[in-house]
Amino acid sequence: MTSGRRRVPYLLLAPGLLWLAIFFVLPLFFMGIIAVEEGSLEEGFSLTWRFANFTDSISRFDTQFVRSFIYAGIATALCLVIAYPLAYAIAFKAGRWKNALLLAVIAPFFTTYLIRTLAWQTILFDNSPIVDALKFVGAVPDDGRVLDTTGSVIAGLTYNFLPFMILPIYASLEQMDRRLIEAGRDLYSSARTTFLKVTLPISMPGVIAGTLLTFIPAVGDYINADLLGSSNQAMIGNVVQGQYLDIKDYPIAAALSFVLMAMILVVVAVYIKFAGSEALMGDEEERGAA
Amino acid sequence: MQADRAGTAGTSIRRVFVATWVIVATLALAACGSDLGGGGREGEVETAAAEGEASGDLFVSNWPFYIDGKTVGEFEQESGLSVEYKEDINDNNAIFAKLQPRLQNGESEGRDILVVTDWMAKKMYDLGYLQNFDKSAIPTVAENLVPNLQSPSFDPEREYSAPWQAGMTGLIVDKSAAPDVTSINDIFDPKYKGKVTVLSELRDTIPLIMKADGVDVENATADDWLAAIDKLDAAVGSGQIRDVTGNDYVDDLARGDATVAIGWSGDAVQLQADNPDIEFVMPDEGCIIWSDNMVIPVGAPNPTAAYEFMNYVYEPDNQAQIAAYNSYVTPVSGVQEIFQEEDPALARSELIFPSEDYQQDCSTQPNPPTDGGDEVEQAFESVTTGG
Repeated sequence: MTSGRRRVPYLLLAPGLLWLAIFFVLPLFFMGIIAVEEGSLEEGFSLTWRFANFTDSISRFDTQFVRSFIYAGIATALCLVIAYPLAYAIAFKAGRWKNALLLAVIAPFFTTYLIRTLAWQTILFDNSPIVDALKFVGAVPDDGRVLDTTGSVIAGLTYNFLPFMILPIYASLEQMDRRLIEAGRDLYSSARTTFLKVTLPISMPGVIAGTLLTFIPAVGDYINADLLGSSNQAMIGNVVQGQYLDIKDYPIAAALSFVLMAMILVVVAVYIKFAGSEALMGDEEERGAA
Repeated sequence: MQADRAGTAGTSIRRVFVATWVIVATLALAACGSDLGGGGREGEVETAAAEGEASGDLFVSNWPFYIDGKTVGEFEQESGLSVEYKEDINDNNAIFAKLQPRLQNGESEGRDILVVTDWMAKKMYDLGYLQNFDKSAIPTVAENLVPNLQSPSFDPEREYSAPWQAGMTGLIVDKSAAPDVTSINDIFDPKYKGKVTVLSELRDTIPLIMKADGVDVENATADDWLAAIDKLDAAVGSGQIRDVTGNDYVDDLARGDATVAIGWSGDAVQLQADNPDIEFVMPDEGCIIWSDNMVIPVGAPNPTAAYEFMNYVYEPDNQAQIAAYNSYVTPVSGVQEIFQEEDPALARSELIFPSEDYQQDCSTQPNPPTDGGDEVEQAFESVTTGG
């Protein structure tokens, strides 16, 4: 009886673990093997444990690595600035419009990612009314353009990943006990202080989840750079694609993917260390009590 | 007691983990004998044998916008074959990457005919991924193939390839915005800064830039290729060239984001339908000539049907229907005569029937030299990914 009950958690974990073993660990293993192979398509690839593939992939594509992290960083920051007020408004001020607004946030997902991004080409092309208007107000120089620039790629990333920032922040604000805000006011705290000392800390798990959900896929994204940027905006995802499809240097493509994964892990680890894992997981004591 | 039980559960979960790792490790070791690449089939190319009357199914993979809506149905009726015609080739490199692991094992995923560009046909052949034709099975192809496509350098005897269509790489220009463009060097003219696109095809773009610098592209050295790539790199870096693109340059031209592009002849005709100002311009320095070829991959289930289809599209009447649709250079003689009666404007088109005079400075699509070719490919990839 007891023994059976003790097995329950493991049984519940089993399908997930099995899935991860087959579709994550196993491919990762294969990719790891390919990453230390050497050769060419014509002569065949052989396993020579060439770990220099990793250092090569960094030194050859450092520009694109740096570019990817900068683009993803800016896009994540922009998402946060846009998403927080919006999530706040939906959670606290929307009233009967709440569901409609949430639907509006999710609505873009009803269309495929590719088509949504392609649509921006027709919005931002050189002779579009929007670009004319931007030129008129001086936001874009008269001989400038919007499409195929760094700006359009970052804007595309921001647009495409915005819902991943809004939803976690909304979820954490929505669960918040409103009486805490009242309590803050009762203690003669200004609205600003209440927000900074009460609301913001409580919403931190949402903010951190949102930034991770935005940043991680944005670093590896290649669709936005491909469709909204020129070759000067190519990100590391585009490099992997090119090395795999055009050059057919499978080991370098695999090594690049590993390096990217390692870099993201480091950045995320530092970030969580800095932000505090309690913020992400919830307070230890709080969980203990619950 | 309880601790004991917990211990048992712990042990069993550990056993599961160990078992999983053993499986994973075994499979990983199996992967060490990785079968990515490495021909080994070289030198023993088989001939796809034709066997009696064609029957059954035929699976053709081709590029989009390469066939009209009627030909396949009419062929099915005439031959009694059931045809799966898939427009699933968008890029020589991509289709190669997709099929390579299967071809390596001698399988074609059911495909009987693939259509790939000259250099890719050669590359696949050298890797042992293609079969030789049984020439006795394709008399119509032998009879009607135009003379200047009969012995290309990559397959002098046409042993394993039959052109589907040929084309020219040159300039496609929006005449309303850039009326004076006549030379490849005009893509570097500051007047058109940010309004120029070039193809992400190494063998189209770089030879044209070399031609503009007076290099004999068919005998160019790796250094010549690299110099042209450097020149392109500088122009992309400065923003003179807006983008290095695949087939999407067509959209850039249609929207007006590009006014000068290095592009493929047939696209110009299709773009003209929407914007009459867009034209194919034969560069002063000449163009690059290529063809896309029908080939029979290893493991093709029904070569007999493939030959039947090749013969069919090489009948001038059938070919006329295809050529009228896609506006590329037709490889079949006798089509021009048909157009002269049915549609004289098409018969006069230099894009479908380029005269010797029109193509006098053009070169067949060259490959980077074997020695240093990898470096050239990497350098070009570095330009297209903004390195």
